[in-house]
Amino acid sequence: MIVEYHRPATLEEALRLLERSQPFTAPLGGGTALNRLIRGEAAVVDLQALGLDIFQAQGNSLLLGATLSLQKLLEQLGAQPMAGELRKVILHEATYNLRQVATVAGTLVAASGRSPFATALLALDAEMTLAPGEEILSLGDLLPLRTERLRGRLITQVALPLNARLAYEYVARTPADQPIVCAAAACWPSGRTRVALGGYGSAPMLAFDGGEPDGAAMAARNAYAEAGDTWASAEYRSEIAAMLVERCLEKINKAQEA
Amino acid sequence: MIRNLYINGAEHEITIAPGETLLTVLRRLGYYGVKHGCESGECGACAVLLDGKPVNSCVMLAAQAEGHRIETIEAVGQHPQQGWKLTPGLHPLQQAFVESGAIQCGYCTPAQILAAKQLLERNPNPSEAEVRDALSGVLCRCTGYLKPVQAVLRAAAILRGEEVAPVEAPESGGPIPAPAEWLSPEGGESDLAEGLTEPTFEPPAGSTGVATHTRLMPRIQITPQAEAYRSVGKPEKKVDAVKLAQGKPAFAADFEKRDMLVAKVLHSPVAHARIKRIDASRARQLPGVAAVLTWQDIPRVVYSTAGQSDPIPGPLDTFSLDYKVRYVGDRVAFVAAETEAIAEKALELIEVEYEPLPELFDPAEAMQPGAPILHDEPEYVNFGESDPKRNLAAHIHIDIGDVEKGFKEADYIFEGDYEVPKVQQAHIEPHVVITYWDEDDRLVIRTSTQVPFHARRILAPVLNLPVKRIRVIKPRIGGGFGSKQEVMVEDVAAHLTIATGRPVIYEYTREEEFIAGRSRHPMRVHLKTGVKKDGTITANAMRVLTDTGAYGCHALTVTGNTGHKSMALYVGDGPYRKAPNIQFIADVVYTNHPPAGAYRGYGVPQGYWPLERHMEKIARKLGLDPLEFRLKNALRAGELHPFSTAWSEGREPRPEIIETCALEECVRQGKAVIGWDQKYGREEWHQVPGKPHLRRGIGAALVMQGTAIPYLDMGGASIKMNDDGSFNLLIGATDLGTGSDTVLAQMAAELLGAPVEDVIVYSSDTDFTPFDKGAYASSTTYISGAAVAQAAARVAERIRQRAAAMLNARDKGLPPISPEEIRLANRHAIAPDGRSVTLAEVAHNALHHENQEQIMATASYMSPVSPPPFAAQFAEVTVDVQTGQVVVDRLVMAVDSGVIVNPLTASGQVEGGMTQALGYAVCEEMRYDERGRARERDLRDYHIFQAHEMPQLETIFVETFEPSHPFGVKAVAEIPMDGVAPAVGNAVLDACGAQVDNNPITPEKVWRALKPQE
Repeated sequence: MIVEYHRPATLEEALRLLERSQPFTAPLGGGTALNRLIRGEAAVVDLQALGLDIFQAQGNSLLLGATLSLQKLLEQLGAQPMAGELRKVILHEATYNLRQVATVAGTLVAASGRSPFATALLALDAEMTLAPGEEILSLGDLLPLRTERLRGRLITQVALPLNARLAYEYVARTPADQPIVCAAAACWPSGRTRVALGGYGSAPMLAFDGGEPDGAAMAARNAYAEAGDTWASAEYRSEIAAMLVERCLEKINKAQEA
Repeated sequence: MIRNLYINGAEHEITIAPGETLLTVLRRLGYYGVKHGCESGECGACAVLLDGKPVNSCVMLAAQAEGHRIETIEAVGQHPQQGWKLTPGLHPLQQAFVESGAIQCGYCTPAQILAAKQLLERNPNPSEAEVRDALSGVLCRCTGYLKPVQAVLRAAAILRGEEVAPVEAPESGGPIPAPAEWLSPEGGESDLAEGLTEPTFEPPAGSTGVATHTRLMPRIQITPQAEAYRSVGKPEKKVDAVKLAQGKPAFAADFEKRDMLVAKVLHSPVAHARIKRIDASRARQLPGVAAVLTWQDIPRVVYSTAGQSDPIPGPLDTFSLDYKVRYVGDRVAFVAAETEAIAEKALELIEVEYEPLPELFDPAEAMQPGAPILHDEPEYVNFGESDPKRNLAAHIHIDIGDVEKGFKEADYIFEGDYEVPKVQQAHIEPHVVITYWDEDDRLVIRTSTQVPFHARRILAPVLNLPVKRIRVIKPRIGGGFGSKQEVMVEDVAAHLTIATGRPVIYEYTREEEFIAGRSRHPMRVHLKTGVKKDGTITANAMRVLTDTGAYGCHALTVTGNTGHKSMALYVGDGPYRKAPNIQFIADVVYTNHPPAGAYRGYGVPQGYWPLERHMEKIARKLGLDPLEFRLKNALRAGELHPFSTAWSEGREPRPEIIETCALEECVRQGKAVIGWDQKYGREEWHQVPGKPHLRRGIGAALVMQGTAIPYLDMGGASIKMNDDGSFNLLIGATDLGTGSDTVLAQMAAELLGAPVEDVIVYSSDTDFTPFDKGAYASSTTYISGAAVAQAAARVAERIRQRAAAMLNARDKGLPPISPEEIRLANRHAIAPDGRSVTLAEVAHNALHHENQEQIMATASYMSPVSPPPFAAQFAEVTVDVQTGQVVVDRLVMAVDSGVIVNPLTASGQVEGGMTQALGYAVCEEMRYDERGRARERDLRDYHIFQAHEMPQLETIFVETFEPSHPFGVKAVAEIPMDGVAPAVGNAVLDACGAQVDNNPITPEKVWRALKPQE
């Protein structure tokens, strides 16, 4: 139950509120996951007045403000190498109405293992900037320890590599259903390849990070070797994860050749 | 805290709680066009425009909206006629939704219109895919999205200033011809409409693309008897569409009552236990709590929640509150409080000590000797062969002919085991009821029900009130699909109103719909079929084990229909036609799962999944054409319905002859449209160029349903004439979004010579309308329609008599006119020589001038037969043979539902039904853990199809004229549920050889089915 609502005008004010131990105080992005996440008495700090909705290229990075909505991100993506696949990921993440208010950081913080967006950004090795202190934290480091790492802190922006290619593949019961298994692969010009898997568990899983793609599919198979639940068996997920990774890599190869 | 909200151009300074959602505040302020469908933003019924963008107000705090422009449906358009005041009329989007048949229950319509409005404001010329994406955030369980999408495209064209073709048929007012291309020998490939682009939403690996072709009007082959109709058979606008397009406060919860309390229910966290101790004292002491009721506080009256005619054909095994709980979600206590938050807090303060009892989740184990008994209460009342000592809610054993003899005469015996899952109706409007005492101390129950008259009868003893002191009002209903054929929430609010003397509202959350609502019965089915070498079926036996869950509501009748409707279809050929050998045996068993109940199709989809999968296997094994094999053995016109002499929903069966059956023509038309001959058995079509991991497949299923329950279902109608020649049509029939009010008005209009707009419909109020058994069993158009037709004929007769007298008195020099010569048309009573009086003149004459009388009539109708509709269902799929992913690309259904009264509403029924059935085919199921806790508790995990992932849908009506009805109609509402899943299953088999015998057909099941072949 939400017992306090705050809409600070400055980042400092927001951080002061978030530092409190009582009542439990959480940042509020769009609010789309509010009812799933708030348990017990809580205060919320609405971030909408902080101007954290940038979309900006800087060097080799694409900087996304924490409160940038998924719909704005979708609309502002241009010809970046990862843009086409990232659009597909965003469309799979949320329907039209939810995309209007769901924020980049909020989606990551609230993500379960079945989040296409978190899976893709994990493959892209997205980096979070945390306040106070402008600490840089990779999404891979954040996801397993979200509660601990974010206590009293705030994600202000998310950085994506502009020079990486992305591919996303998934299996679901219907085209718009949550993935049972999904795979995202990101490849850098250096040959670095990262593969993330989703569709299972409390967070997407990094399956592979290497200097070249060899072994990525095998790594995916191993990563999901015990990923069984009532939605799919581990045997199935493991096999399909490898298959989807191969398709992702093939897709990236074709794009590079083109 | 005090906040300023800017709503529809006006500033509102209001006090809100910090955690109050925008949805709650808007409805508190009277913006009832904003609907509650869930609490987590998945359904989108609560959408409003925030700074011009559609957002879901159930997941937005009201405080978040401060400083933003909020626009609700109330700011969009107005009724075009407001007396002397000029209005701008409806918004073109609203007009298009009204004209296009895009509105069924109308609960999601305001949200769809707002989302579309925003789309058209930023993109005046959207592609169909863009429209579908814009509507993706608003779930619709009724329409299948086809007509809403078409309505948006239509409105876009109008807003661009383009001329659009009329929705009506080319010959406006005349019969609707079948399109010229209907019988095209090529069939199959439908083109995207000109200018449409590919979908922006990219489906997963395994798809060759989601088709987005839409068509507003269905294809119809009109029967000659119906060609002369002026109103029947026309795409009339729904009589409730204008108010629904405006989001008017038409639903049960859209109602203000001073001092209304909010009810909440404490649900059991355990699957089976005795309540050892319950202490509500702390909850009662909480400020703002008006009442807390436990089993100790209310009378112990056993009843059934099944909304059926008396006597209810099932056991009485339920109490409003009991000292025992039988599933996770069962009721433990009721609370009424000043606010929802207080009520929820009070639930936490109720102390309950449960004495655990052994849990039963496997229906087969539940029947074993020594199994724990779920219903040991002494008040239990048996029905038929129910036996609580064996956990048996119902048992059915039907023998038609001699199956053992038939098996001996067969050349081959085919056996198979199949399973069908528990699935949810998932109507977007949750169950909701408001109760209050009126000024005469009569209890008024305003409720979202399909069965207002049954609800009154069932509730009377439970509440210790005589029937005459209860009034049940059914306003508009936001979808029911059988779930609201259950008296499930009304007693909660009513007990609390009795306890407090105050009005009470009780509305399910979406989670309650899943944990405490009803569902389709899951079944395990064994089939054994004897077949001769030439494909003649010699015997067919079905054995069913049904899990009814904790209570036996609809247990007997749902499972009975599994056999009655599916096993009747294939009687065999030759001598077996006259003497088929069919056996149907079923056990319906109690377990500690949540209760199952009525769900559109009522047991029949559970029968057709195994039957049509089984028939496909047999045909393929014998090398026979699957459709010819089916038609060879299928029931035909002039034959006896084989089950009609064996079983009738727990009542005396009587023989019924099938008068009309266009199944063969349905197959022919469906094959032509989907291009069967160009695809089935053609290897090149099954391949997807450049994608060797993808395989296309095509499949079919034949089905039949019923039309009402013979010698039981009854509906009444009353018609009276007004001064201006308009009519009030009062019916007990319960329109739950299907359009029944409209088709009944069309029938009245046809006979009264008036336009539909002159027929003012008021339905389903136990104080003011005649009895009707309610909306179920696909009966309203047939049963209630016959009552309306009889009442209208009587009124028409009175009009003719008076008109003849008026003409003879007025034109004394001319030959006299007899009443039977007069016809009613175009608001006139017309003599053969062309002389006429208007209906308004007749009404004035009757009410004010001579031999004054109220021209009015009542009628009721009960049918001795239940003429089955028939259909051929076709599906096309693409299967990813590496992952098992199935994407359904196209569904075509050719239906014989008799005469189609309204092609827009009827095709809407088929499109929406096919879409629900598609979920049954590929994604919908309710699963439980080892302690009976539900996996699916929201519309994210329980996925229902969204606008942007739909296959192409096509409807074909092959009309017949059913002689037992004045307008020749048969049912249409339920039959679309029956064939999709097996047709998809058969298409998957056709694509890649995967035999999946348990639906839904999930990727892993297909993958596993393919594994041994690798």
